[in-house]
Amino acid sequence: MKTSHSSWTYIFIAHMKRDFLTNSRSLIDLISIIGFMLLIILLFPLGIGPDKEKLGIVSNAIIWIGLIIAILPSLEKILQKDYESGWLDQIATTDVPLEIVLLSKSISYWLIVLIPTILSSPLFAILLSMELKYLPWLILSMSIGGLGISLIGLNGSALILGAKRGNILLPILIIPLMIPILIFGVGINEAVKIGESPFGNLFLLMALTLIYLVISPFISALLVRIAIGR
Amino acid sequence: MINLENLTIQRGSRTIFSDFNSVIETGLVTIIKGENGSGKSTLLRALAGFTPLENGKIKLNKKNILSSTAEWSQKLIFIDTKNGLSTDLTIIENLKFWVAIKGWSTSEENLKKALKSVNIDKYANLFISQCSEGLKKRAALARLYYSFINKIDFWILDEPTNELDQPSRVLFQQLISSFLKQKGTVIIASHDLNILEKKFNIIDLTLLNKRNIK
Repeated sequence: MKTSHSSWTYIFIAHMKRDFLTNSRSLIDLISIIGFMLLIILLFPLGIGPDKEKLGIVSNAIIWIGLIIAILPSLEKILQKDYESGWLDQIATTDVPLEIVLLSKSISYWLIVLIPTILSSPLFAILLSMELKYLPWLILSMSIGGLGISLIGLNGSALILGAKRGNILLPILIIPLMIPILIFGVGINEAVKIGESPFGNLFLLMALTLIYLVISPFISALLVRIAIGR
Repeated sequence: MINLENLTIQRGSRTIFSDFNSVIETGLVTIIKGENGSGKSTLLRALAGFTPLENGKIKLNKKNILSSTAEWSQKLIFIDTKNGLSTDLTIIENLKFWVAIKGWSTSEENLKKALKSVNIDKYANLFISQCSEGLKKRAALARLYYSFINKIDFWILDEPTNELDQPSRVLFQQLISSFLKQKGTVIIASHDLNILEKKFNIIDLTLLNKRNIK
């Protein structure tokens, strides 16, 4: 009995609801990421020294790098649990394209993990003596770039499905792909700091994220098909 | 009738099947038996459209099913030893999300009937992480109920009775009998030939495997 429930939108939302529910029951993962990011950021004042001026200059880049490093261990989990439990096999026996399902997983990860972590950045900004007037631009750039990061993470997660020591391999494979996002993301606030328009970097970041939005689901679907075919 | 024509399947450097031919009658139960590592699960995964073929075709009524896997996947329910259950969800939540991603109605009434069909309705709100292996298997097999209210023609099941106790096996047999009555086809990989009281076909991979291992 196929009903209106069979629409792709309904199924897309069903996947997202499932991801929200499963993640809400393992909040410790999110707390660990924010805690890990806090520790990374605390290391910088210890290493560079507590000089507010010095920290202010690099604070924007430190928060971006802290975010990327802190989420790395969680990226493999985007697909790993579902692969190990056999849920990806069940997904593959539905008539919704795998690309759509994987896109929903990436968006879920962005909303559930990245956005709450990014929204914690005022705390990190204070720790690094960043002027609060730059915070809206930091949050905006990280939110847009975060979607790109989650799409790259989806590809990485799909690439290491079933691989031994995949968690070691993952950062080596995906950090290079995140460099353009880091450059344009950091560039937004740096432009604001020197009184220039941030929109050049912002539009480039948006364009890059859109490119990943289009290609990542196809790449990861290909990789997932290979993984479940093994 | 499903025709397996000249199937060659490899996993890494190992050839699991080479030019394997067989026939699966529709409307019946076919049990694929064989030793550990003989390729039972691989054959099931190939039938479900997961494992790619190096060579050969799988034809349903003379049509290559793998040329349109989306159409094929709508006709089948696949359950393997991994079950496809999230440990962070309850039994009923797992079933509900599975039904939702299939694009079917998630009415409470049908969910309860599905759980009742394998006698786990009283465990509906138990988390999978708290379930025994037998309960997990029954939670996965509850999906089969949806064959009776949706257009499903094939069940592809890998070791479905492994963790089941005798009363659960009887319920499973009843589900199979009901499915056969609506002309469904059941393909099972199992060591256990006492899985059914009724007659069934057998594809024995034991001898084939001895010939084909390279």
